[in-house]
Amino acid sequence: MFKQTVLAVAIVLAMALAAAGRAQTSPQLEDIRKQIQELKDGSDARIQALEKQLKDAEASTAKAQAAASEAQSAATQAKQTAEAKQAPAATQPTSSNAFNPALSLILQGGYYNASQDPNTRSITGFLPAGELGLPERGFYLGETEITLSANVDHLFYGQATLSIDNGNIGAEEAFFQTTSLGHGFTGKAGRFFSGVGYENSQHQHNWDFADDALVQQSFLGSNLKVDGVQVSWIAPTPLYLELGAEGGKPVEFPFPTSDHNANGLQVATLFARLGGDIGVSNSYLVGAWALQAKNSAVDQPVGFVDGVTGVSNLANGGNTKLWGLDFVYKWAPEGDRVDRNFKFIAEWMHRSFDSTLTYAAAGPGTQSGDFTANQSGWFVQGIYQFEPAWRAGLRYGQLDEGSYDLGPGLAGAPGLAPPDFTPKRVSAMLDWSPSEFSRFRLQYNQDNSQTGTTDNQIYLQYILSLGAHGAHKF
Amino acid sequence: MKSPHMTSGFKLIIAVLALVASLPAYAALEIFACEPEWAALSKELGGDKVSIYAATTAKQDPHRIEARPSLIAHTRAADLLVCSGSELEVGWLPVLLQTSGNDKVQVGKPGYFMASDFVRKLELPSAVDRAHGDVHPYGNPHIQLDPRNIGRAAKPLSERLAQVDPANAAYYQARYKDFGSRWEKAIAEWEQRAAPLKGLRLVPYHKDSVYLIDWLGMVEVMNIEPKPGIPPSAGHLSDLLTKLTQQPADAIMYSAYQDPKAAGWLGERTKLPVVMLPYTVGGTPEAKDLYSLFDDSINRLLKAKK
Repeated sequence: MFKQTVLAVAIVLAMALAAAGRAQTSPQLEDIRKQIQELKDGSDARIQALEKQLKDAEASTAKAQAAASEAQSAATQAKQTAEAKQAPAATQPTSSNAFNPALSLILQGGYYNASQDPNTRSITGFLPAGELGLPERGFYLGETEITLSANVDHLFYGQATLSIDNGNIGAEEAFFQTTSLGHGFTGKAGRFFSGVGYENSQHQHNWDFADDALVQQSFLGSNLKVDGVQVSWIAPTPLYLELGAEGGKPVEFPFPTSDHNANGLQVATLFARLGGDIGVSNSYLVGAWALQAKNSAVDQPVGFVDGVTGVSNLANGGNTKLWGLDFVYKWAPEGDRVDRNFKFIAEWMHRSFDSTLTYAAAGPGTQSGDFTANQSGWFVQGIYQFEPAWRAGLRYGQLDEGSYDLGPGLAGAPGLAPPDFTPKRVSAMLDWSPSEFSRFRLQYNQDNSQTGTTDNQIYLQYILSLGAHGAHKF
Repeated sequence: MKSPHMTSGFKLIIAVLALVASLPAYAALEIFACEPEWAALSKELGGDKVSIYAATTAKQDPHRIEARPSLIAHTRAADLLVCSGSELEVGWLPVLLQTSGNDKVQVGKPGYFMASDFVRKLELPSAVDRAHGDVHPYGNPHIQLDPRNIGRAAKPLSERLAQVDPANAAYYQARYKDFGSRWEKAIAEWEQRAAPLKGLRLVPYHKDSVYLIDWLGMVEVMNIEPKPGIPPSAGHLSDLLTKLTQQPADAIMYSAYQDPKAAGWLGERTKLPVVMLPYTVGGTPEAKDLYSLFDDSINRLLKAKK
């Protein structure tokens, strides 16, 4: 607005100058002086520059007493200079649209070919059929994401990511965060991806594979979302150290909201990260985290029941405790990732959850008692960009069914033991990104996550990004 | 009665406190410079009153930087950000600002200085459409290769230094005065020395030299990239060969951070000289500071002209 005013004044001044050159009368110069005096309150450096030009022009006007044409050209020049100086002002967007939030749209979809029916796929001991989030075979439309973001005012930044999936529109994330606490503190509130682990806070379109790792899928449900608050703090050290905590209510599977209508915190997390560079070509990030959730839902998480016979009811889950470690390493020659780069990611998670179980073994009557399952899982993946537009990647992940601790009521229940099976999946992918805004991927999974069958899965996937230029986390 | 445990506990606490107290506090004004040219200008203007962290090197494409943990840590410590702006850093700077928890350098604060706000930008697009590649809607952000732009940014930067560090305002003003007059003289010398370059027809890899070309009156015949930010394919390169027979050029050019392969391939087939320009401070061994950046760029172009 101010720049506009300055520009307008500059043009008026320049035109007045031209007129002054022609007429060579001092009253008009007086007029200009008065205008400048008025503008002086703004005390902008540009005004001073203009004032200097005016003085110059005055000088040439004085000289022009003899030659009017000379003065005219000097004034025209002054006008041109003034306009040139103000050109940047004219380039700024001036409509009210300039305040609209940044808008971006992600289009995803592709073709899925699998040797097994996705509707019957389960992860033995972890996830029952129907909870894996696999696409239907054949052509499929993936999640369409719309993100709007902007600074709310001088104190807050706000962002919403809406996802459209099979006719459902949901708030994937919708939060605001502080920009002005200072001292390394940032507060966040609303619905957001939990800060635990590495993969969890990466949006689907930013994944290196079409699907997520087994352990992420089983323990955190692709992206664990929290309705609540988050506080994080960056230490004032050259080495990156971040500490964070969250509290709120978990959203969706495997921590469903259905029975979270309760006062207080339903989930609380703590996380810490340490990172830095090694030379100019290498950088790393290591993280550790812990999560505790009150799991009041009746039948969750029930995945482990699959493969265990005789369980009639898994009641009133108690606490779920999760903890994990993650490690990310990235390499790019001279720190320039355009031509070639490599990244390595590894995550490990452990889950321990309590519940009360009613068990109907062969024979009369049932047994009922406390039950704790201790499970873990991990994955490693490496992605190599060998050409500016081409990347190849490998991933291996597996789950460990661990052990079941049975309370007195269940002691000796026959057959109530973890299935003797280790779910595994190997994935290989090749993707092509003709620009920063489009990516096409071919992926093959050899999926041995369900006992007794191997699923050969092939994805052909596209991910397109329209609108505001996304800025991605490390 | 003190237990031995208690005593050693106290000793430990005191030792830790002493250690923390002895850590070097950030005494000088901390500057986070997004690109090496702004680190160099900050050094010229800030002298020994500032401590500068250059976030990128001349070997890195400033469009495509990762928001690495080390960059977040340094953004956290900064009193002043000095960057090109005009969306050059749009792929990484927003993440740094959002995660750093540093209120001093947020958009609109005195600690947020974008040099391109103070210059006249070239190549303002009339239509912003990604079909044209990664177009910058606020004009070409590679402003540093016109030394007059560095001069234009120097004054507001010195004023900004004085604003965020008023105790040393007089110092910054004096440094600017000195730099401003030396810089003006240097520009006049460069313009004189580069006079033979006028009309030189160049094929740069990316649209990152338009300010240099504009300043010295050279001509950009075409770019090796088919669209800004899109790497050239083999097919596109052979198209370029054909085009170059119709629109002759004098030299092929690329910047230190770019892959030399495509430029080398074209040079071999067209028999045109291939010039690598430093692009920013540190891009070549000769380009050690702002002055030698332009000395070396002009030298290399003059050599190609021969």
